[in-house]
Amino acid sequence: MIRSQKFWIAVCAVIFAAGLAWSIILLTMSHGDKVTVTRDGVVLYTLDLSKEPDREFTVEYEGRKNVVEIKDGRIRVKEADCPDHVCVRTGWLTAKIPIVCLPNRLVIEYADSDLDAVAG
Amino acid sequence: MKKLLCLPIAALIMLCSCADSSSEHIKTLYCMDTHMTLKAYGDKAEAALEKAVGTLVDLDAKWSVTNTDSEIYKVNHAGGGTVQVSPETSELVSFGRDMYEKSDRTLDISIYPILLEWGFTIHYYKVPAQERISKLLWNVNASKIGVNSSGVTVPADMMIDLGSVAKGAASDMICGELRKAGVESAVLDLGGNIQTLGSKPGSGKWKIGIRDPEGSGIIGSVSVENKAVVTSGGYERQFTENGKTYHHIIDPSTGWPAESGLVSVTVIGDSGRMCDALSTSLFIMGAEKAYHYWRKTGGFDYIALTKSGELLVSSGIAEDFDLDKDHKNIKVTVVK
Repeated sequence: MIRSQKFWIAVCAVIFAAGLAWSIILLTMSHGDKVTVTRDGVVLYTLDLSKEPDREFTVEYEGRKNVVEIKDGRIRVKEADCPDHVCVRTGWLTAKIPIVCLPNRLVIEYADSDLDAVAG
Repeated sequence: MKKLLCLPIAALIMLCSCADSSSEHIKTLYCMDTHMTLKAYGDKAEAALEKAVGTLVDLDAKWSVTNTDSEIYKVNHAGGGTVQVSPETSELVSFGRDMYEKSDRTLDISIYPILLEWGFTIHYYKVPAQERISKLLWNVNASKIGVNSSGVTVPADMMIDLGSVAKGAASDMICGELRKAGVESAVLDLGGNIQTLGSKPGSGKWKIGIRDPEGSGIIGSVSVENKAVVTSGGYERQFTENGKTYHHIIDPSTGWPAESGLVSVTVIGDSGRMCDALSTSLFIMGAEKAYHYWRKTGGFDYIALTKSGELLVSSGIAEDFDLDKDHKNIKVTVVK
């Protein structure tokens, strides 16, 4: 009897701990620096800018390239061979507006924001 | 013993309720030459979103001006003949044609050959010669478009493009589909054309940012439910030649980029396609004409940013508008 009581208390403790851990994960996630890099509607990378080392990487679409730079916990498109360079001119990513390269179908955005959408 | 059994079950229920936020469903896609994000809530959302994606792809295939299989392409290349089209295409062409007169001739869906000459459609920009623009303007006149039960007819030298109303119309259609499928809450972002369905689960109105034309942030936000929010601005597509910047919103009366003194115009209303059309129209009209147009027709609200940094907010949306904390220097004027 006592043995099974202990067993159930242990089960409860494990579930409670799992719930607590999950809640903490959820809460810290929404305040993180998580950024997604999406090409043609598919998420290529999910990056935590607070943990990423300074580096550059290239995303290709139909032979065209965007060079993405991560530096001091920020992210931007450094170079691109698209015709309009809107993505490069957007500069470093801010919490509210995604970096978009329409010709190369590239989107870089924060995974969390207090806005539901941005018109424009 | 039995009492103790309740504990893990209770704990499990608690754990499950933590996962409530996962009832948010998101789909992203490239369609109509833009990036789209569709977000919907509840257990009916996933299936409804799948269907919405299908609808968008289908509408793009019908309305694309470059795809040689599209209905619009066929209309443009029929040499003045009538082309049988689907009811949704016929409906939208008819709406676009009627908006020409209703917008005091600022929105013209037959402006396409001029956009093409400027290179805005293919991201290959150039400033055309005035001669060329004047010649092309002869065939820009949406009132010459014929729409009836047998199809759509445009004159042989005319080309139409639904780009200025297509995203708004598509958001109306998929919003209707989602509602029909039992979805009560959704926010649809079709390349910056926003449509909201119902209210946000748990927190009331949706908070929609308005893009800052100058930087990479927002100038403010509006809180809405069951409304479309559409912004037009020159910054969306522009190029610089010999030190002068040219944007893609062409004034149909001149064939040149509209120089109305406005930098961006946001229109808030019930109908996505109407907001889409009017955001372009009001941008071309400029502050003064836009104000009188709003007073005369009503049925929508607007937020216009002038070149001098003043924000004009129509009275119906003023209470639900918040200036961004980084833009407190902008002068906000509520127009009544």
